[in-house]
Amino acid sequence: MQVDRSFIREVEERSGQRFGACFHCMACSGGCPVSDIMDYLPNQIVRMMQLGMRREVLESRAIWVCVGCYSCVSQCPNRVHIPYMMDALRELALEEGVKIGEPDIWTFHREFLKQVDKRGRVYELEFMARYKLATLSLFNDMGSGMKMLFNGRLELLPHRVKKLQEIRKIREVCYGKK
Amino acid sequence: MEKNENAPVPEGYVPHPRVYYYPGCSLMSTARDLGESLFQMARLVGSWLEELKDWNCCGASPAHSVNQNYAILLAGRNLVLAERQGIKDLFVICPSCFVRLRTAAKTLMADEDKNALLEEAVGKRYQGSVRLRFFLEVGSASQMNVFRQAVVNPLKGLKGVLYFGCLLTRPEWITGFDVLPYEDELRSFVESMGVETLDWGYGKQCCGAHLALTKPDHVDSLVDRIRDHARRVGANCMISFCPLCQVNMELRGKNSEPLPVFYVSELIGMACRLPRTEKWIRKHLVDPRKLLAEHNLL
Repeated sequence: MQVDRSFIREVEERSGQRFGACFHCMACSGGCPVSDIMDYLPNQIVRMMQLGMRREVLESRAIWVCVGCYSCVSQCPNRVHIPYMMDALRELALEEGVKIGEPDIWTFHREFLKQVDKRGRVYELEFMARYKLATLSLFNDMGSGMKMLFNGRLELLPHRVKKLQEIRKIREVCYGKK
Repeated sequence: MEKNENAPVPEGYVPHPRVYYYPGCSLMSTARDLGESLFQMARLVGSWLEELKDWNCCGASPAHSVNQNYAILLAGRNLVLAERQGIKDLFVICPSCFVRLRTAAKTLMADEDKNALLEEAVGKRYQGSVRLRFFLEVGSASQMNVFRQAVVNPLKGLKGVLYFGCLLTRPEWITGFDVLPYEDELRSFVESMGVETLDWGYGKQCCGAHLALTKPDHVDSLVDRIRDHARRVGANCMISFCPLCQVNMELRGKNSEPLPVFYVSELIGMACRLPRTEKWIRKHLVDPRKLLAEHNLL
C-alpha cells in the first residue's frame, strides 16, 4: 500500500508538532470532554493523518468540535499539542474549500469574526441575532437570553475600536486583500 | 473631559497606584457582575484601574480556530498598544483572553516572521516588554491582607467548590503558573472570606465553552455532571474565575438543580460589605439571594 506522507508533513509544519511522537496511548481521547460528539477521537485523527487520509480528516466533525480546553495536552505523555493540530486542520479545511463537518460551529466562528472585523470588538446582541438567523435557531434560548437582557447582562449599544483601520489592516495581511 | 492637573490636592492624599487592565469583551456585558465587583475590589485597596486605551478583541476561540496568524496579530495589537502607552504590567480579567495574549506574546518573540507581519499591520513590532498578569495577581501578599482585614461579614454557611475551568492554570507553560501552589493560594484566599471550600474532582473539567450555543445538548450534559458532583460533595455554591464558565454553569444543565456561581471578587464584595453589592447580586441568572438570606449574609 502506498501511503501519502505529504498531508501529515503539511500539518506538522503548520502546527509545529511532531506526530511521530504519538504512540496512541489514547490519553488525549480519554480525557476529552467533547469526545462523545466527535466522529473520530483525537488520536484517531492523528492515525488517519499518518495514513494519509486527507479528505476524511478535513471533512470530519471532530476538528470543529474541539473547544481547545487543553486537557489533552496536559495529559499527553509526549506533549503532542492536539489543539494546535486542530487549529491547523480547520485552517486547511477552509483553504481547500472541503465540505465543512460542522457547519453551525463554522457559522459561529464566522459571525464572531465578522463582529471583530466590523468594530474590533464583539457586540454580543448582534452576534447572537446573526448567528441565530444564519442557523435558523431563532427561538432556542429565547427565555434565558431575555433574562440576561433584563438583568443588564447584555450591552445594549455596541462599542468600537477607534483605530479601526489597524484592525482592517490586520485582516488584510492575514487573509490577503479582497 | 481633560483632567484638571492643577486642582488642589486634598489633605492626606496618597497617590493611587495605577493598575492597567485589559477588560475583554465580556466584562461589561455578560460578566457585568464580575466587572462591577472588581471595581469595588480595586477601590478597597486604593488602586486606580485604568483600561488599556483602544483595546480590541483578543480573537477568543474563533480567531485561532480558523486562522492562526489572525489570532496572533489581533492579540498582538493589544501588546503593541500597551507598549506604546508605556504599560509595564497589564492585568487581564478573562482567563481565555489571558491565554490568547500570552500565546501571542510568546509566539511573537519566538517567530520573527509573525512579528514582521504585525509590523506591517500596525506599524510596530512587539518588543516583549509587557508583563501579562492575571487579575487575581493584582493583590501582592500585602494587598491580599488588606482584603482579609476588611472582612466584616464572614460568609459563614457558604460551602463552595472552586471551579477553575480549563484555562485558568492550563497550559502551565503558557500561563506561567505553578499550578498546585497557585490553586492552594486561591483556596486559602476564598477561605479567608469565610467560605468553606470542599474537595472535589471536577475543578478543571471543561464546561463546554462556546459549544453552549452550537451544541447545547452536549453542554447540558457536561454541566449536569459537574454540578451533580458539586452537589454530591455538599456544595451550596460554586466559585468561578472565568466569565464563560460562570454563564454556562448558571445557564446550562437540565437534570441537576442549579447552583449559584460566584466570582471571587463578588465574595470579597459581600464579605467586606462593599457598597452596591446588591446591584450585582441581582444580575445572577441563578438568584443567590435565597441562599444568602438563609445564612443572614445579605
